[in-house]
Amino acid sequence: MKRRKFLSLGAVAAAATVLPAGLSATDFRATAPKAWDAPTSKEAIEAMFGSAAMVDGQIEIKAPKLAENGGAVPIGIKSKLDLAVIALFQDANPRSAVVVFELGEGGVVDLQTKIKMRKTANVTIVAKGRDGKLYSAVQKVEVSIGGCGG
Amino acid sequence: MSMKIKAKIKKDVTEVKLLLSSPMVGKEEAELKKVEVSYITHVTAKVGGKVVWEASTGPFLSKDPYFMFNFKGAKAGDELVVETIDDKGKTESSKAAIK
Repeated sequence: MKRRKFLSLGAVAAAATVLPAGLSATDFRATAPKAWDAPTSKEAIEAMFGSAAMVDGQIEIKAPKLAENGGAVPIGIKSKLDLAVIALFQDANPRSAVVVFELGEGGVVDLQTKIKMRKTANVTIVAKGRDGKLYSAVQKVEVSIGGCGG
Repeated sequence: MSMKIKAKIKKDVTEVKLLLSSPMVGKEEAELKKVEVSYITHVTAKVGGKVVWEASTGPFLSKDPYFMFNFKGAKAGDELVVETIDDKGKTESSKAAIK
């Protein structure tokens, strides 16, 4: 089931290249709407990726030990794996899912973004490799002044 | 509304720095601050019509979201096209040559 889901994702991505501009390969807000409303990372991850086993220790999260501005906490994601989908979750806001990245065939796993965190909490990355396996990483980020966001 | 794109190639890897313009206000923040819900929901980057990177986004990204990403397969002079869509279906597009 999981495998079939992954393969169909690939088919959609391949088809998108011949479709008119403006159509994205995959819209994770449309394909996994429940995941974006889940309050905790555990629930959000299950809604987006299911509960299959995940491989730990092959993705590096680069985040400050102590974030001074919770409104824009820099998060870096690096890995030598060939990843197709990379999702970022946290437990510092009313809802957990923040962003889901998708990399094209020549993608290099070296990403950065900035997120809101209103308190100290874990940041979790869950990724799907082109090998069909799920990978994860967790890092606690301390926040001294919370960001806006409720 | 505007966006800033910088795309630089080193050896065979293109590094893109992208700064979008959006308040990224979700329902909780909108209620608290008595402002309108407004956030970007999807960003796509393409070279030669092929998607090289994309992101499904939510309101817990920082205001005026920042992204850095890397990919192989492009060359200097190629055009990188970035398209965004927000929660109301409003789209924006901008492009930059890879240097």
